[in-house]
Amino acid sequence: MNSPFKAWRTSLVIRVTGTIVLLSIILIYLAGSALYTQISSGIFDEKLNLSISDAQSTARNAQFQLTFSQYQDKAALKSIFAEILAVPPKTFDNTAREVAIFSFAKTKVRFKFSGASNFLEVTSIPKDFRKKTKISNTTQWGRAKLSYINGRNEPAIVVGHTLKIAGAGNYEFYVLFSLEQQTRTMALILNYLWLTGIALTFLIGIITFFVLRRLISPIRDAARVAEELTAGNLELRMDINGEDEIARLGYSFNEMAVALQQQISRLENLSKLQQRFVADVSHELRTPLTTIRMASQVIYSARDIFEPKVARSAELLVSQIERFESLLRDLLEVSRFDAQAAVLEIGEVDLTALVKETIDYVHPSQDRIILLLAPITPVIVDIDPRRIKRILRNLISNAMDHRDGKNIEVQIKESENEVSIGVRDYGLGFTYTDKKLLFERFWRADTSRARSTGGTGLGLSIALEDAKLHQGEIDVWGERGRGAHFVLTIPKFAGGSIRSRPISAQPE
Amino acid sequence: MTLIMVVDDDLDLAEMLGIVLTGAGYEVDLVNRGDEVMPLFSTQNPDLILLDVMLPGLSGVEVCKLIREKSMVPIVMLSAKDDKQDVVAGLEAGADDYMVKPFDPAELVARMKVRLRRSGGEVNSDLTIGNIVIDQIEHSIIRDGRIIALTRLEFDLLVALAKEPGRVFSREELLSQVWGYRPATDTRLVNVHIQRLRSKVEIDPENPAIILTVRGVGYKAGVPGSFQ
Repeated sequence: MNSPFKAWRTSLVIRVTGTIVLLSIILIYLAGSALYTQISSGIFDEKLNLSISDAQSTARNAQFQLTFSQYQDKAALKSIFAEILAVPPKTFDNTAREVAIFSFAKTKVRFKFSGASNFLEVTSIPKDFRKKTKISNTTQWGRAKLSYINGRNEPAIVVGHTLKIAGAGNYEFYVLFSLEQQTRTMALILNYLWLTGIALTFLIGIITFFVLRRLISPIRDAARVAEELTAGNLELRMDINGEDEIARLGYSFNEMAVALQQQISRLENLSKLQQRFVADVSHELRTPLTTIRMASQVIYSARDIFEPKVARSAELLVSQIERFESLLRDLLEVSRFDAQAAVLEIGEVDLTALVKETIDYVHPSQDRIILLLAPITPVIVDIDPRRIKRILRNLISNAMDHRDGKNIEVQIKESENEVSIGVRDYGLGFTYTDKKLLFERFWRADTSRARSTGGTGLGLSIALEDAKLHQGEIDVWGERGRGAHFVLTIPKFAGGSIRSRPISAQPE
Repeated sequence: MTLIMVVDDDLDLAEMLGIVLTGAGYEVDLVNRGDEVMPLFSTQNPDLILLDVMLPGLSGVEVCKLIREKSMVPIVMLSAKDDKQDVVAGLEAGADDYMVKPFDPAELVARMKVRLRRSGGEVNSDLTIGNIVIDQIEHSIIRDGRIIALTRLEFDLLVALAKEPGRVFSREELLSQVWGYRPATDTRLVNVHIQRLRSKVEIDPENPAIILTVRGVGYKAGVPGSFQ
């Protein structure tokens, strides 16, 4: 994702500022356009009024001149026209004002004339406007463009009249006023409007940004403190200034943090108490158990001299003490998990060697009941070897107990970050309801059968806890009569997690 | 006759240990308090001490330190906790081995035998490791003309490495050779003792030249004369 998009998504300040800037651009544009229209029409109207009155007086003068001059001949008329058209040309600080005269084309005119002042092209007056002027008797006005022979153009207002000259006929009379200055003024105003608009937008953006940032900084602070709290830094609190809503947020946030801290330390104490209890029970039980064990061994080794019943009792005593011992060991392990006091002791280990060792331990015989399928190269992993060995021992001896005379396959398979160890037997298997209970404490698949093969009923539950301690999982597949498949998957490196499973429990 | 001093506050357990050990042919001396060990130790001069970690008067770890100041006698700690800190503290105080209760008496006796065994007199040539000379007859090691005191276990560990220079020993191999363990036991025992041994024989324990670590595998002997 691109960083501007990301900033838009993740930063409230940027999003709100962006929205406000966008809205103000629209509003400023609308206001600016309205203002511009108002001003330009005002300026135009003023110029128009001036132009019309100017044109009217000019026309009156011309009419007067023509009426009162003794019309003698064409040459005299021409010189009067020339006089009228002799308008001073545009100077530096003056705007152009031009005059044009045409004789009526279709009526009977004794003297045909068509001319304009100062090299103005006669086409500067639009044809439509000339038609309108000829028809009407009153003053007409319209927009035009001054175009000179040298190619110069200027926007203009044209005001038209009809001159009626006794004995000579009707003439169109036009006065044109350049709008050059007004156009320039409007362009200037437009520039200023643009500048103001941009400056305003920019200022609004900056102000919004800083005000929002100021407003949001306590919220950011709260987020940061919350993250720290989550990370376990329970002592951290928010800084509070003032008594406004934000300060109230701070107060309640800090109150929450205090409550959280108290709750956590209470739980920690509980857990510590339980740990202590486990350690004490462990110590108290172990010492007498050691004595009992030694005593039973002494009695057992002397069983030859006992009568048969006593000798058998000695045997039972020894085996039951062993069972009691493993039960105690498993119970302590479970309660250590419950108190969350179990700690991994990670080391670099060749998993294949570990699996081989475990197989030899569970089944120390030459006949190949357990087949091992492993990569040729050593599988080096970061694990707690004691715990992984315990899981494997449990899975493999379970398979041995339920294999029903068939072989067992142990497979090791690795991917980039994970390694799986699958233990597959083709023996008794289990039902769907059993599957859900497998990892329950003290649950046994088949009471009469399983008890004879020993085990405390805690094995799988401990194995699962051990796997979880490694961020790993144990997947299970089983079917009555088709056997079972237990797959342990763990990350290869300490601190990792599993994203895929090199071996799936479901057989193909 | 070999004298074993059994130190445990549990009278029944101590008595039972006495029965088992006498049965195995040892002479046994029972002590129930930690602070009673040292006075008895100097008069009795036992060949091996079985020492409980939790003792009234003086803790097992303290007792262990006091004994090590005076003697290199083999010490096997007995712990009621498999709490690792307990065990490691005992080993660092100088114990050679440890057993977690409830232990198999047969295994205890087997381990004690290894600790009591005089390493074989069949070799009479001196061994060298780094710039250290091991006198196998006198049971002493000499560095730069000075004798360095080692426990019998540390001596055995050093001899095991020196006998086959160049060979890399895994921790498991060392455990079975030096401690007499069956496989699959706690390899930290090796780590702790290698550290202790290094602190005695190495000139700079941070940069060992005599006992080298082979990462991911184990340890091997340094080459003689390979350093100044």
